[in-house]
Amino acid sequence: MMRILKITHSATWPRLAIVAIVGLGLAGCYDNGGDPKIQIGANPVLPPLQQYLIPPIRIAKVVPWANETPTVPHGLQVQALATDFEHPRSVYVLPNGDVLVVEGNGPEAPIHRPKDLVTGWVQWFAGAKGKGGNRITLLRDTNGDGIPDVRTVFLDHLNSPFGVALVGQDFYVANTDAIVRYPYQEGQTSISAPGTKLTDLPGGPIDHHWTKSLLASLDGSKLYVGVGSNSNITENGIQAEYERAAVWEVDRASGAHRIFASGLRNPTGLAWEPETRKLWAVVNERDEIGPDLVPDYLTSVQDGAFYGWPYSYYGQHLDPRVQPQRPDLVARAIAPDYALSSHVAPLGVAMYAGADFPASYRGGAFVSEHGSWDRSPLNGYKVVFVPFSGGRPSGPAQDVVTGFLDANNQARGRPVGLAVDRSGGLLIADDLANIVWRVSSKRSEPSQDAAESK
Amino acid sequence: MTLHSPSRNTPDRMNLPFSGKAIRPILVSFPIAYFTAAFVTDLAYWQTADVMWESFSDWLITAGLVTAGFAVMVFVIDLVLGKRSRALAWPHAVGYVLAVLLSLLNAFVHSRDGYTAVVPTGLTLSALVVAILFITGWAGRALIAHHREGADL
Repeated sequence: MMRILKITHSATWPRLAIVAIVGLGLAGCYDNGGDPKIQIGANPVLPPLQQYLIPPIRIAKVVPWANETPTVPHGLQVQALATDFEHPRSVYVLPNGDVLVVEGNGPEAPIHRPKDLVTGWVQWFAGAKGKGGNRITLLRDTNGDGIPDVRTVFLDHLNSPFGVALVGQDFYVANTDAIVRYPYQEGQTSISAPGTKLTDLPGGPIDHHWTKSLLASLDGSKLYVGVGSNSNITENGIQAEYERAAVWEVDRASGAHRIFASGLRNPTGLAWEPETRKLWAVVNERDEIGPDLVPDYLTSVQDGAFYGWPYSYYGQHLDPRVQPQRPDLVARAIAPDYALSSHVAPLGVAMYAGADFPASYRGGAFVSEHGSWDRSPLNGYKVVFVPFSGGRPSGPAQDVVTGFLDANNQARGRPVGLAVDRSGGLLIADDLANIVWRVSSKRSEPSQDAAESK
Repeated sequence: MTLHSPSRNTPDRMNLPFSGKAIRPILVSFPIAYFTAAFVTDLAYWQTADVMWESFSDWLITAGLVTAGFAVMVFVIDLVLGKRSRALAWPHAVGYVLAVLLSLLNAFVHSRDGYTAVVPTGLTLSALVVAILFITGWAGRALIAHHREGADL
């Protein structure tokens, strides 16, 4: 950029300025990302930061699955558990085995800058503007064949819901602006009782990252809430980030909250690591400083820790887009545990404690990578598995569920929320195709034609 | 910053129908006002780091480009209809086109997120645009005054 400016000072500036303008159109195309593999694990390679006139962008054309399904490794199988949802984002399994599908999308984004108009078009082209149901659908399999035969609206008229959690007979929904508690009796297929607000959460009017992930503590006394930032990188002002980009700890009895950890740009999925019983999260990092910056990550969430956003990333790598800087916070910023590579957009995490999958999957983390338009070539659009040992990631991420992109890099689906059902199958919400997929071990599954349920 | 020429009220011009002749000088003024205002709001952002000013700059530059687009459309329509009767005031025209092109570049710089949407590149471009408009505007007026030609931009 400064180079272009320097040129314009010379005598031939009109002509060169025109060349520079024509060059704008190409600015978004030439910067291709490298091999994502070098950005997976504890020590990702971080290239120098770039700033663009048009950031690299690549929108995957949306095509239907037709009669195809995602692809899984040998020994596993995949089928559509149910279809025709309205933007399913999360899946949750109740103690009796019923599956809840949370259907929601973000509230209408305000137009604060001309760029917001463009962003809206990009989202529309990418199929991300699908209307959210603002409801939760219940699926029940009464005859144990793996295919649900009861389908009811469990809860309706919600406000951009995402996370849900059941503690005893209290069912919590994390709407975009509040946690609401509903009474629940085992076996119930719908809740008509009015909800009681436990606490407000940071919502509109901007609500850039609207999803609120939710996880109850193991003893049930607290709720942990992933609250995303209100911007990419504070372009809506630092005031708009109050108590955002953080994991909240909410007291279940009083509704009081404290910031458990901060500097986590968008913590979209929370899970307990089964061996050490520590809190882990998947986090979406910042955009528009290069196809390989900044890697999204999976990390343990330490009480009181600061993870960098917005001032820095992966420790002390400063972001010049943030002014004024906060050297005091940067000094204590810690690097996350495990990078997933850049712009994969991890939106769900499930620690596998089931018994259905082969033994190598036990104790590790499944991470759903929604994929994004912030990078070329595309990255993500799959569910990966990160093996764990001793409560820490112990190897490279393996692709488990792929095929969300077809051979022509067209998007058939985009994985979001993950859950492990009562018999150990992995459930995947696909918010582009409006399907919930179920992955299971081949030998323990009654033979079902995957296409049958569609 | 005005593009009114001394020959504006000569009889031949007065007799022309209400087309580009009357409306173009008005259209041409809008982008100049918008770009100049964007420089002021950029300065305010630079001093305060309050995103409100950056947002103002974004809209001002965009509005400047949109109105410049209208001015160009009217200019092209006039060309096509053969209504252009006199020579351009070249310093005006070159400066104006350059200012609009740099502002287009500036709109992309301003579309960045955070501080570097303005400091240093956006602010520099805004200042450059204002400088070009004033210098070429002044040069154009001087030229007109000297030759008593119409500033038919």
